[in-house]
Amino acid sequence: MKLKPSVLDLDFQEVETKIRRFIKDYVEKSKANGVVLGLSGGIDSSTVAALSALAIGGDKVLGLLLPEKETYNKKDVGHAKLVAKKFSFKTKIIDITPTLQAFYKSIPNFDLKDNVCKGNIKARTRMIYIYYFANRHNLLVCGSSDKSETMMGYFTKWGDVAADISPIMDLYKTQVRKLAQHIGIPKEILAKPPSPALWPGQLAETELGIKYDVLDLILYGLEHFMETKDIAQQLNIEKELVDRIKDRWLSMEHKRRMLLTTKLEYRTVGADFRLPRSYY
Amino acid sequence: MENKIKLALAQISCKRGDKTANLKKMESLVNKAKKQGANLVVFPELSLTGYVVRDQIYELAEAIPGPSVKAMENIAKKTKLYIIFGMPEVSEKTKATLYNTAVLIGPEGFIGKYRKMYLPTHSIFEEKRYFRAGYHEAAFETKNGKIGLIICYDIFFPEVSRLTRLKGAQLIVCISASPAVRRTFFEVLTLARAIENTAFLAYVNLVGIEDGLQFWGGSRLVGPNGKVLAQAKYDEEDLVICDVDYADIKPVETFVPTLRDLRPELFDELKKHAESL
Repeated sequence: MKLKPSVLDLDFQEVETKIRRFIKDYVEKSKANGVVLGLSGGIDSSTVAALSALAIGGDKVLGLLLPEKETYNKKDVGHAKLVAKKFSFKTKIIDITPTLQAFYKSIPNFDLKDNVCKGNIKARTRMIYIYYFANRHNLLVCGSSDKSETMMGYFTKWGDVAADISPIMDLYKTQVRKLAQHIGIPKEILAKPPSPALWPGQLAETELGIKYDVLDLILYGLEHFMETKDIAQQLNIEKELVDRIKDRWLSMEHKRRMLLTTKLEYRTVGADFRLPRSYY
Repeated sequence: MENKIKLALAQISCKRGDKTANLKKMESLVNKAKKQGANLVVFPELSLTGYVVRDQIYELAEAIPGPSVKAMENIAKKTKLYIIFGMPEVSEKTKATLYNTAVLIGPEGFIGKYRKMYLPTHSIFEEKRYFRAGYHEAAFETKNGKIGLIICYDIFFPEVSRLTRLKGAQLIVCISASPAVRRTFFEVLTLARAIENTAFLAYVNLVGIEDGLQFWGGSRLVGPNGKVLAQAKYDEEDLVICDVDYADIKPVETFVPTLRDLRPELFDELKKHAESL
């Protein structure tokens, strides 16, 4: 197999149709009133919100903007509102700063300089708000995680990844960009460098240490059982880099498969209870 | 035997784990097909239960004949139609040895069954975990022609269809539960199996979404020359009534005589090499 950008090409009209059908089908069968999702103003959540609105109608989609003081970015809020306007779905903005501060204050010896701990609290706090609205209004939580960050474990366990359905989780970031373009996500959102925005100045590609264009081809190669030496050779990059990506992908499986216990009995939750996710 | 029959490709989605609801849906489609003059109605693989039922399959499986086959027999008797559908079968001699089975029923009652020989256990498929593979091809003489039965992944292995043809099948029926990413394979293989066997091939696929798997439908009737004679919609439920004229086989069989040209000695070679792969 030749690893070149075109391997990530898809028929994005078909992808759009399939994702819209998936969202509509799941919402209908679960008898939910619609979906709720966190809206950051970034490409992933904008795309999922737009697809949800296209699938079930904007009146059944609630985008929650959950900014906080440290990372507040007027542009991002503007972008989220722009998508909401274009795809006619509902939004609500809630400043989560007081909640975060309550956490920081109530946790003994909380280190305010620990970006990772603080960032994860932010992601998990957002999850609580989103699930509140889901419970309150009988909505499903629609996740916005893509395949690149999911494979890399680049998310907060029980935080941003927490959802009932994750419509774009089988698309790499570069594919999400193309899908976003296809469905008409505004250009300024497409052009923004991806960021989880858990602390000021955080950029995904800097933190991952690799550009998504290259990362996605490496992940695509790993997905297709290619050896790291062949991936490195084809992409003309160091094998060590590919090995590092592979190690990270494998070591993050614990974040993707969340229920683990030790086998003690006949059938075990998360292991060999093999049940359909739902009967719908 | 009738030389011309009307075949109904009954492309449905299933309510998973709900045999009563699925039987009801199949009954309503049989009635609808009857009104449109069909003689034989074909439903997808595991249409009694849905495809992604995982461990629940042990509760859902039934012996054949069993209550669901009896219910289908009543429908066939009432409508005087022939019906093919799919269900998980539990072996009468055991409690939990299951087969992925296609059942053929007519107005006269149960006619025969076929136990899937090739069980996909790769990618998202886990059939070998639940099912024992069948050992025998199946071709049954009916008033609607001699019908060979195969199931989904069997179509990737030409020997299964070929065996039904060598037993005299003129119409090979492939019931299926194929997710969308595999559409290209099936669209090619349905043509290939029809052409190489100079037989009609009816392919009936599931639709609907089960645990994120989107079944693509696209059920079709292919003529012995590989021409698509009827095609159901993609991704949506559909009922397509189409004509099978068995007289069409002869001119194709003379034009491309694949059966006349069979070389049985090659099968010994095939066996030898397959065993040492």
